[in-house]
Amino acid sequence: MSGQAKVVPIASRRARTKRREPPAGDALLRRRVVDLEQELSDLRGSERRESLLVALARAVSSGAGGMTWASLARLQRALYFAWHSEETDKFGADARFAETIEPFFDFLYAVWWRVEATGTEHVPASGPGLVVCNHSGVLPYDGLMVQLAIRHEHPARRLCRMLALDMFALLPVLAPMLSKSGSVRANPENAERLLRQGELLGVFPEGVKGVGKRFHERYKLARFGRGGFVRVALRTGAPIVPCAIVGAEEIHPVIGKADWVGRPFGLPYFPLTPTFPWLGPLGLVPLPTKWSIDFGEPIEVTQYGPEGAEDPILVNRIAESVRETLQQMIDGRLARRRSVWFG
Amino acid sequence: MARIAITGTASFLGGRLLRRLVAARGADGVLAVDITPPPTTLHGVRHRMVDLTLPGADRRLLEVFREEEVDTVVHAAFFTTPRRDAAYAHELESIGTLHLAAGAAAAGVRHLLLRSFTGVYGARGQNPSLLTEESKPEADSGLSWVRDKVEAEAHAFSFSRRYPGLGVTVLRFATLLGPGVHTFYTRLLSKRVVPVPLGYDPLVQLLHPDDALEAAALALEKGPSGVVNVVPRASITLLTALHLSDKVIVPVPHPVAYPLAELWWGSGVGEAPSGFIDYARFPCVADGEKASVKLGFRARHSSRDALEAYLAYRFPEAAHRAPEARRASESEAHEVGA
Repeated sequence: MSGQAKVVPIASRRARTKRREPPAGDALLRRRVVDLEQELSDLRGSERRESLLVALARAVSSGAGGMTWASLARLQRALYFAWHSEETDKFGADARFAETIEPFFDFLYAVWWRVEATGTEHVPASGPGLVVCNHSGVLPYDGLMVQLAIRHEHPARRLCRMLALDMFALLPVLAPMLSKSGSVRANPENAERLLRQGELLGVFPEGVKGVGKRFHERYKLARFGRGGFVRVALRTGAPIVPCAIVGAEEIHPVIGKADWVGRPFGLPYFPLTPTFPWLGPLGLVPLPTKWSIDFGEPIEVTQYGPEGAEDPILVNRIAESVRETLQQMIDGRLARRRSVWFG
Repeated sequence: MARIAITGTASFLGGRLLRRLVAARGADGVLAVDITPPPTTLHGVRHRMVDLTLPGADRRLLEVFREEEVDTVVHAAFFTTPRRDAAYAHELESIGTLHLAAGAAAAGVRHLLLRSFTGVYGARGQNPSLLTEESKPEADSGLSWVRDKVEAEAHAFSFSRRYPGLGVTVLRFATLLGPGVHTFYTRLLSKRVVPVPLGYDPLVQLLHPDDALEAAALALEKGPSGVVNVVPRASITLLTALHLSDKVIVPVPHPVAYPLAELWWGSGVGEAPSGFIDYARFPCVADGEKASVKLGFRARHSSRDALEAYLAYRFPEAAHRAPEARRASESEAHEVGA
């Protein structure tokens, strides 16, 4: 009914213009062409993939002889925008990029590591929240998996922005990948700004000490930095949700370290695993362990007030208690786990 | 009537600001201080020649400011493009500002507005996603281009502390890009092939000159307000910007890129020293919150607008700019229809 009601005035308006300007058929035609062009360019905007195919086809059909700088630039452009959107948010998150890489990480999540997420109801459905996780696994897969767990299993399907270690944010390829999938660099300014905006953040207070643990130290939480995450939570009143990730320690078991190899490339450590670097790029394939991600009950810190952030003893105490809670959650899960591969 | 003195009127932003102030206050309300006279199209603008790099420039400035009854000084004599003779750049930017601040303080100038760049924060891996004015500028940067600006800001503030009558505003502008802008960034954008560090795609901020002028005018209205970032509405990633301008991109691994760029720069061919590669690897994105609170400034253009405005200006013949073409054909259709 309402659809019909809408159509009538438009038709009548068009009829009126026609009646007013009988000889302007040419102009109308031109306007129609403009409209169609607009539609076409909108379509192009939404269907970048097609334009990539077109660009590739054009490149192939013209052959190497027909390759000019301009066509090369067009091809590169089509390739880039096939998996990047032209706009990002303030922090560099790119929706199209996230969409593009999601199938791969979904595969890791559902098939490769068969992630089992429990307790997602403890993650706040709205407003700020600080998910505190244990770090492991050499490469920041664990952060992405926590992000996916909250995206897939939490009813509000929230984006959990991970605070990435500086070292990951410095490495080529990995740095833009992390920032485009919604991560930001781990520093108090970023954390406070995002929490004040009411966003959900994931942090790894262990930092580099956690992610590069040797195999015999697995599932023993390292020191929790200097309690920066507690200070941010106190200042913003965000609840702390402990999150125990089990299974990620075994994907790249670090049996030794050769830090002197990585130093010239700006790496803080250089892990030696049973497969890396001996098998070359194959050594980068993570082992298919069975993962579990458990979210614990939120720890409220609002009773201390923002001024608590200035009290280092209080900050230390809270950090320590979060660490203990997390260690207990990990130990509990480990005690229940029968196999590294099947859970 | 108290006058506004502008230094660096031969520079792009200084010249544009001079025109704007002449339009707003009349030719008698402004004074151009530069080693080259302002364009002859600006009738009746008073001009005093002062070389900021000469010893004794502060005394000369004191005389000029006293004689011309200057109460506000806009200091825009800065290089937007890195120079090979770093010694001269240092004399002009750092020491020149020292002279200017000394002269202004002695002459009882009320407000000194300094033009600076968000680049002074330095592109570091540890930067927060949005740098506020509280973030420390990178005083030990490897780039003399950055160090000189940081020093200039410090000189201005140290004089303001000792002579409380002298209020200071430092406007840290994001990278200027738009019609009429000629910097080493625009020279890079004029090339067919642009080398970029492999595997990095940081956000960059491109500021439309109209927004920069608007912010400067507002700052002059509002009076001294300390350090203020002037940034565009939205950022853009470096590769998006380069692809939108239809460049062929050659990724170079960064361990190789630095020595190559240094060699290229040292041999007199390159556009910028290797330190600028940092700005293509790590974000240096400033927050514009303080400008909107303190100055009431909200940028009208986004980085993308600035880029498109520049491309339309630089390559008017290029047909790939769909939005402009569409707008043109639309207006044509309207003309015909009406």
